[in-house]
Amino acid sequence: MSPTPWPSSEPKWLATDVLVVGGGVAGCLAAIQARDEGAAVLVADKAKFLERAGSVAGGVDQFMTPLNTEAEWDSPEHLMKFVPGLTDGLSDLDVAERAVHELPRVFQRLCDIGIDFTDPTTGEYFRTRAFGLPGEYHLNFDGSRFKYKLGRYTVGHGAKFLPRTMITDLVTDAAGERVVGAVGFNCRTGERYVIRARSVVVCTGDINRISRNISGMPFDSWHFPYNTGDGHAMAFRHGVRLTNMELVEATLTPLGFSVQGTNSYAGQGAYFLNRHGERFMFKYDPKGEKARRTILVNAVIEEVLAGNEPLYIDIRHLPEEQLDDFVRTLGVDRYTLPGYFAQRNLDIRKELLPFGISEMSIRRGGSYFRGSGLVVDTSGQTNLTGLYSAGDCSMVSGGISVAAAMGAIAGRGAVESLGAAEDEDAALDPGSLDTALARMEEPLLSNSGRRWSDFEDDVRALVTDFVGMRRTEKGLRHARERLRALAAEEGELDATGFHELMRTLESKSIRLAAELMTEAALHRTESRSGAAHRRLDHPETDDLHWKRAIVLRQSAQGELALESMTEREPEVAVGGQA
Amino acid sequence: MTTDTAAAGAAAAPAPHNPIDVDPETCVRCMICDYVCPGDVIHKEPRSKSLPVIAYPDECWYCGLCEQACPADAITVVFPENMLAPTTPVTSLLGRDPE
Ligand SMILES: Cc1cc2nc3c(=O)[nH]c(=O)nc-3n(C[C@H](O)[C@H](O)[C@H](O)COP(=O)(O)OP(=O)(O)OC[C@H]3O[C@@H](n4cnc5c(N)ncnc54)[C@H](O)[C@@H]3O)c2cc1C
Ligand code: SF4
Ligand code: SF4
Repeated sequence: MSPTPWPSSEPKWLATDVLVVGGGVAGCLAAIQARDEGAAVLVADKAKFLERAGSVAGGVDQFMTPLNTEAEWDSPEHLMKFVPGLTDGLSDLDVAERAVHELPRVFQRLCDIGIDFTDPTTGEYFRTRAFGLPGEYHLNFDGSRFKYKLGRYTVGHGAKFLPRTMITDLVTDAAGERVVGAVGFNCRTGERYVIRARSVVVCTGDINRISRNISGMPFDSWHFPYNTGDGHAMAFRHGVRLTNMELVEATLTPLGFSVQGTNSYAGQGAYFLNRHGERFMFKYDPKGEKARRTILVNAVIEEVLAGNEPLYIDIRHLPEEQLDDFVRTLGVDRYTLPGYFAQRNLDIRKELLPFGISEMSIRRGGSYFRGSGLVVDTSGQTNLTGLYSAGDCSMVSGGISVAAAMGAIAGRGAVESLGAAEDEDAALDPGSLDTALARMEEPLLSNSGRRWSDFEDDVRALVTDFVGMRRTEKGLRHARERLRALAAEEGELDATGFHELMRTLESKSIRLAAELMTEAALHRTESRSGAAHRRLDHPETDDLHWKRAIVLRQSAQGELALESMTEREPEVAVGGQA
Repeated sequence: MTTDTAAAGAAAAPAPHNPIDVDPETCVRCMICDYVCPGDVIHKEPRSKSLPVIAYPDECWYCGLCEQACPADAITVVFPENMLAPTTPVTSLLGRDPE
């Protein structure tokens, strides 16, 4: 096919104080905070409207925060005491502490914006204990309009929005030491942008479409399939440190439709059965089905390997009233789930629900207050001056709450650094810009017929077979070799049209994430955090050497450096082990 | 890729399936589905009588934002056979030996 032409020969130049890349939960809070401080803010997102951007545009139902009531557990200080137990040595506790203290503040801000966190039936806060936290920090609420209101407020508060825009690369000064902007394009019109910014906040979310699932359909994923690690990739290319990239996150899901929440059925009293009708969870944990998620996931893996498939969720014994409630709330997190059961002719009140595990994502390996992505300090800044990050693509994350808290912190930080930027008025390096624009354009010029979807399938096959749930040195080395070979093919990828260009560039981000996941998993010669990192050849947890996060960085010469950091000493050490 | 991974990949490849059913009788041609779809899956020609087009059916998340937002209740999300009656064994997701 003939190459798709850009609609105009020159990209459009835009300028702002703060550029926010990704307008999900973290991006909106960063924008709001930066607007509070009076900065000019531009938010770019792949979505058409900020109100509809990101993982939770369809709705949310839980927000986690201490509220400083009388109860002893209800303070940030109390919560903080338990954070090291959750993060398992894989976070920077100073940053986590900043986030914990920000939670009640950002919660208040969200209330002021007009988000109602009360239970619609009682008008009171309905709080529950979840995810192994030491108190009832989870507010259950009707968040079906949460993101709509947040996005609407952000724009009303003066942030400008660049719709349907995929940001593809950062641009730096000549020394490569300061970010001075970014480039992107509109996935419908093909309009290209060069955005000059004095600071940039990367909030591009987690990494999905990276391994196979039961339906064999890559976009049928538990999490948002349009978050593909673009922010991780663009930062990494500029020498920004990434951490915890080896951590896997998968969940229990109905076989055929990857959705969240299945593990919470257990909390409601569901039984997990294997094909012999046995409630198998008690073999793995005295709490049975109420064990922690990583234990549930590991148990399901063991049962499958033992040949005890199919596995079922059984709720038939629950009282009528509870069943009504159960069925009524199925569609809260995923609107289409009731329709799915209906089209499958499955009445879960009366029948067993076959279940298994989902595809995996790179997020935070299932624990609050740690994350897989850009390493940030207590102001949300990375090691590239002027570059900030928050949310699921950064080192301290945890659902919408921590995304909001760290987003606000990063937005504040991004404005604080403006003063410094002004003095120097860092010049944009034309070489850096040319490289970024050429990378954006490359797939449009190719004529090879090699499509992103096949390329991505190859990455997923490798990750599923050799990098995913059960890792060995042999498998990881094999995958690394193949993933590097795929990197060499990237230049051939052929896109027609701007939508396909977006997918093609996403598939390259996914491949890079897979390679970094492999490198870090190979490096970590132990097992840690349950299903998050399981080495069959190193089954024990080795706190002495490995209670530290692996940090990946690309040197100016393009070589990969593996470093590590401990929860109290974020200063990186070269090499892995102590 | 080894031949047997390629075969597994091919076996799992979805048949072409249209995830979104639009009722031409009730659709008021308003553009909202095009605006809300997070995957840029639905395209609707602006200011025209044409129906929305499912431009990239394989890239649907099955989130139902379009169905939820449609003011005319004209959209139904339709699940494919791979999702309603999946045949892939869970063991195939759990990794294997490189040899
Ligand atoms: C269905 C569902 C239900 C959930 N329910 C809950 C819940 O009840 N409670 C809870 O705490 N958590 C919940 N979560 C998790 C929660 O959504 C995330 O942890 C949270 O949204 C993270 O915020 P974020 O800003 O990092 O990412 P997101 O909110 O996903 O935002 C990322 C944004 O970046 C944009 N983007 C990505 N790449 C680019 C690029 N290259 N250029 C431009 N833009 C880009 C995306 O379009 C997206 O809008 C749920 C997740 C899902 C999928
Ligand atoms: S939102 Fe509904 S009514 Fe509007 S164009 Fe789409 S299908 Fe038609
Ligand atoms: S279900 Fe979701 S992803 Fe699919 S077309 Fe509708 S809005 Fe788009």
